[in-house]
Amino acid sequence: MKYPVIDMHVHPAFYETVCESEKQERFARDMYGLYKTGIFPEEVVFRQMECAGIDKAVLLPLDLTTVYQGVLGTNEQVKRLVGMYPDRFIGFASVDPHREDAEEVLREAFGRHRLSGLKLHPAKQRFYPMDDCMERIYSICEEYHKPIIFHSGMSAAPDALSKYAEPKLFEELAYLHPKLKFCLAHFGWPWIQETCMLMLKYPNVYADTALLYFDNAPEFYAQSFTVDMGRHWIDRSLRHQIMFGSDDPRLEMIRMKKAIEKLDMRQSTIELILGGNALEFLGMEE
Amino acid sequence: MVVHKKIEILTKEYNAFVKITEDVKHAVKESGICDGVAFVITAHTTTGIAVNEGLECLESDIQSMMERLVPEDGEYVHGRFLHSYGAMAGNPTGHLKAHLTGNHCVFPIIDGKVKSGSAQDIYLCEYDGPQNREIMVTIIGE
Repeated sequence: MKYPVIDMHVHPAFYETVCESEKQERFARDMYGLYKTGIFPEEVVFRQMECAGIDKAVLLPLDLTTVYQGVLGTNEQVKRLVGMYPDRFIGFASVDPHREDAEEVLREAFGRHRLSGLKLHPAKQRFYPMDDCMERIYSICEEYHKPIIFHSGMSAAPDALSKYAEPKLFEELAYLHPKLKFCLAHFGWPWIQETCMLMLKYPNVYADTALLYFDNAPEFYAQSFTVDMGRHWIDRSLRHQIMFGSDDPRLEMIRMKKAIEKLDMRQSTIELILGGNALEFLGMEE
Repeated sequence: MVVHKKIEILTKEYNAFVKITEDVKHAVKESGICDGVAFVITAHTTTGIAVNEGLECLESDIQSMMERLVPEDGEYVHGRFLHSYGAMAGNPTGHLKAHLTGNHCVFPIIDGKVKSGSAQDIYLCEYDGPQNREIMVTIIGE
C-alpha cells in the first residue's frame, strides 16, 4: 500500500477511557440506538484494527449538550485518547452549534487540544447546514484550516430526522466556503446521486463509505456504487474525494474494509479510498 | 455441590481456535471438587466449544472445512438491519459456524482432576473476533 489505511468514521463513545459509568453507557446506547453494545477496552479496537489492516482510526465524538444534556465523548477525552495512542488515533472535536459558548469550545478544541477536525450531526444536533448559528462555526474551521465531517442522509440513530441532513442542503456551504473541506458521511444515503453531484461540482466536498443499510457490505456497495450510480463514476471522476469509513461500532471494521478491497476499481483508486484521500483531507500529506 | 467459574479471553483473530485446556483444569482444581463432572460452556452465539487433538495441522484443516461449509461470500438471510441491536447483522458466518460446533463440552472429574484422553484439548472456537469472550466452567460433584 502506498498510503496508511485510515478509517475516517469511528465512534469512541463506548471505549473504557470515554464511557466511565453505567449511566454514560446507557446514554450512549440510547443516543446511537445501539441497544446491545457495551463498554469495551481500547485493546479490542486495536485487535480489530490489526485484523482489518487499518493503521489509524479517526475518532468522532458528539456534543449533544442543548438537545439531550449530554455528550458522546468530550473533546478532552478524545485528546487524551490521541495522547495515549498517537500511532492509532486521530482525534476530531465536536461542538453543539446551539451552545452559547460554541465558539469558545471550538477554539479550545483546535487551539489547545490540537484536534484535527470537527464532527457535526445535523439530524441529532437539530440544525440545518445553513442555519444562522452555523456561520461562526464554519469561519473558525476555515481560520484553523480544519475539515468537517457531517453526518448526512439517513441516520440509524433514534430521534434523528433525515430532513436535516439531505446532501443538497450542503451545496450553499460548498459554494460559499470553497476553501473549507467537508465530508458527507454515509455518502448521504439514500441520496447518493445528490452527493455525487456535489462532489462533481465542488472539489471541497468529500464522502465516506460508512454506508450499509441492507444486505451485507459487498452486496450493498455493489447496489450503491454500480446500480444506484454509474459503475465508473468513482473510478473515473470522484476517486480523489471518497474516503474509507467503517462506522464502528455500528458496523464492523473488518468486513467493511474487506468490501472496499473487493470493489471493481483500479488498485490505485482503492488505495486512495483507503488512505490517500484521508491524508489530503486531513492536511497530513507529505 | 455446584461451583461456577468464569474464563475471560480477548481473542486475537477474526476466526481462531484458542486452547483453553489449562484454564479449565485450573478452574476444576480451584473448585475443590474431587468427583463429578465439569461443563465448559460459551456465553456467545458466534463462538463454539470443541474438543480435538491440539495440532496446528488439524486446526488448519478444521478452519478450511469451516470456510468450505460456510463461505464468507455466501448469500445469507441474516444480512439485514436488526432493530433490536440498532445495527446490521454482519456475522451470519459466525452464527452458522457456532451452530456446527456447539456451545459446550463435558468431562468427568476423578480424584480432583479432569479426566481426559491424552490427545484431547479443549478449544474456544472464535468465529467473529476479535472480541472479549466469556466461558463458564460449571463443576458439579463432591
